[in-house]
Amino acid sequence: MKVVRAVVTILGLLVLWQAVVWVSGAPPYLLPGPVETLSVLVARAGFIAGHAGVTLAEILMGLALGTTLGVSSAIVIALFRPARRWLLPILVTSQAIPVFAIAPLLVLWLGYGMASKVGMATLIIFFPVASSFLDGLRRTDPRWIDLAHTMTGDPKARPLAVLLHVRMPAAMPALASGLRVAAAVAPIGAVVGEWVGSGAGLGYLMLQANARVQIDLMFAALITLAALAVALYFTVDFVLRKAIPWQPDTLPHTDS
Amino acid sequence: MTDTTAAGRTGMPTDVVVDSVSLAFDSSPLFEDFSAVYPGGQTTCLLGPSGIGKSTLLRAMAGLVPLNGGTIRDSTGRPLAGRIAYMDQSDLLLPWLTARDNVALGTRLRGERPDRAAADRLLARVGLTGHETKRPAALSGGMRQRVALARTLMEDRPIVLMDEPFSAVDALTRFRLQDLACDVLADRTVVMVTHDPQEALRLGHRLFVLTGSPARLDESPVPAAPTPRAPTRGDFPARYRDLMSRLGADETGVNA
Amino acid sequence: MSLFRRFAIVFAISILATPALAADKLTVMLDWFINPDHAPLYVALERGYFAEQDLDVTFVQPSDPNDPPKLVAAGQAALAVSYQPQLHLQVAQGLPLRRIATLVATPLNSLVVLADGPIQSIADLKDKKVGFSVGGFEDALLGAMLEKHGLTLDDITLINVNFSLSPSLISGQVDAVIGAFRNFELNQMDILERPGRAFFVEEEGVPGYDELIVVANADKLDDPRLPRFLTALEQGVQYLINHPDESWKLFIKGRADLDDELNRRAWTDTLPRFALRPAALDQGRYARFAAFLKERGMLETVLPTDRYAVELAR
Repeated sequence: MKVVRAVVTILGLLVLWQAVVWVSGAPPYLLPGPVETLSVLVARAGFIAGHAGVTLAEILMGLALGTTLGVSSAIVIALFRPARRWLLPILVTSQAIPVFAIAPLLVLWLGYGMASKVGMATLIIFFPVASSFLDGLRRTDPRWIDLAHTMTGDPKARPLAVLLHVRMPAAMPALASGLRVAAAVAPIGAVVGEWVGSGAGLGYLMLQANARVQIDLMFAALITLAALAVALYFTVDFVLRKAIPWQPDTLPHTDS
Repeated sequence: MTDTTAAGRTGMPTDVVVDSVSLAFDSSPLFEDFSAVYPGGQTTCLLGPSGIGKSTLLRAMAGLVPLNGGTIRDSTGRPLAGRIAYMDQSDLLLPWLTARDNVALGTRLRGERPDRAAADRLLARVGLTGHETKRPAALSGGMRQRVALARTLMEDRPIVLMDEPFSAVDALTRFRLQDLACDVLADRTVVMVTHDPQEALRLGHRLFVLTGSPARLDESPVPAAPTPRAPTRGDFPARYRDLMSRLGADETGVNA
Repeated sequence: MSLFRRFAIVFAISILATPALAADKLTVMLDWFINPDHAPLYVALERGYFAEQDLDVTFVQPSDPNDPPKLVAAGQAALAVSYQPQLHLQVAQGLPLRRIATLVATPLNSLVVLADGPIQSIADLKDKKVGFSVGGFEDALLGAMLEKHGLTLDDITLINVNFSLSPSLISGQVDAVIGAFRNFELNQMDILERPGRAFFVEEEGVPGYDELIVVANADKLDDPRLPRFLTALEQGVQYLINHPDESWKLFIKGRADLDDELNRRAWTDTLPRFALRPAALDQGRYARFAAFLKERGMLETVLPTDRYAVELAR
């Protein structure tokens, strides 16, 4: 049933796309139709897959690094008051700087290889993860904290134990929300990094194809990127739901 | 240094001595120069209207709320920290832990090795054999309170503070939980806050009504039978009438 | 009423009435931000040559050089400044474009290395990194240049550095860059005191081509504004050649941000390269470059030259 639904959705999107092409009268060098794009996708599948692999690697590494940094920062801020004062504003600033302003700097410092793209993705992921996890850590049910304090005998005793056994597990659903956002924005980071300078990847491929006026190839790369992003999101969502079984969806279940 | 050992069980029962305590909530005075003694090894029930400060007094005894004046110690003058187990009307079970792990929560927080066998024994004591590995979501309200009771027992503290522990379950479950609590908490110093006059008469060795602002204690006589008392036997109905008129007189606004 | 007063009234009314012949608006998309490569256009504008042709010209600066030709092809703009090599690729992909004038009649593209660096000839590029700005045909240029020195594209690593050609070269992240304009990047590097050494593409195996051209929509070549535009453009080049210093003043008039050291040096270097006869077409040159692109695998077929470029009647 799930498969049927996915197929129907995809077909529907393709029909919609073709309709847009017809109705708008856009020429193929501005908006190619699904038929041209899919035939290029099939014809150059191996070539596109190679670039897709590069971008996927950048995204996954960015996710890993961004999540690690985000979780650590949140824990540090939750534990130490001076950290809250100094680190939190930096956290917020990191989000305010537009990505395309930082990208050239990253490329300058980290070179044109994968490092700068991973850096870019990390930067984009870091804030949603840190912010949501911190929220979760801050919002622990105060009654659990009180209970913990009666058990340890002193409100100030063993803050680490309380953090580890009460706050962190309680903050997992919040972290999961942050991770879902991270999965959705990680591809953006990787691609922007590629636009600034690269030798491989879907972003690079899109730039090249655009310059050579091979717009159908550009769109084929675009669809591949979109498919990657969707697959990534649903994978992350699945893993998170399995990892946090005690906090289930309360919306009525629609999947079979 | 806080005393977290089970000394109370084998040693002398511990009194709770409230001496000239002043407590305020949101700048309205709840207690001023308030003194009371809750005798060791017995169950004292506190009744009173909402907002009078019963929960706040209990939390102050637990060390969760600072005093504006006075002390709460035992009869030898030592502070109570580390010798208290606390139970709330919400079970405060951590949703990601199994029943067994919830029972052993205190040992984890204190960095001790959790004793699985002991936790399972306690779960059996409260009638939950076979449910050790279930998460709270899989247990009914009454069962969850029994896990909380087992947790309280696992703490093995001489003083047990209970804040309307059975008010969130249905009447029949409440009755059974009262019997269970009476059984497992015998010989400990219990201070129980309750809304339910019948519960107070069933379980309390001594019974006080809190009235006025700032609050003062008004002792009400208890039935002669040993706890847990049957509501239809002996002088229970008469004491019930006494109590109700005491509570009712309060509600008509006649203030001493 | 006296005759004089009647005359005065008629005269007044005719002055105030909307003129029957208004100037035609014309949008010309530039290829990039305003720079000395656009000198003839701005000289024509400031000298009033467009106005004389009843043209009300507006220049639009894009942020992506790939956009303007697409907009002209889609009918959203009348003219765009673009590049001959891209034109061949665009026409091959079905864009209805034609070159109607040449702005810069020589290649500007060069392969640049650091003057004090280890690379003395193109053969030294073996196993090195070459940065490029996405143009789409850097493979073709580089391939030809490398072959002339016994190397192939497999002997180098191509890295897209987008628009930071000079910084990436100076910081050592790449050993050479292709796509650097000899009138710009070389001056930029001089100013930063890390001078470069350039290998000019047309001297290293690439046939000569027009770096900057003006393209129009192929289905609208009978637009009456186009010949007038060409006349004004020709007059602009003429004045530029005859009065270079006055022309510079006109270029920066009202655009003080253009008055910097880089533009001043680029101005001098670009002057000899402007097409003296902008509307004139060298058919053989276009045919030759298309054949070159086909040979390098960038085009599948060579179309008749009038599918790429035309010389409009005036």
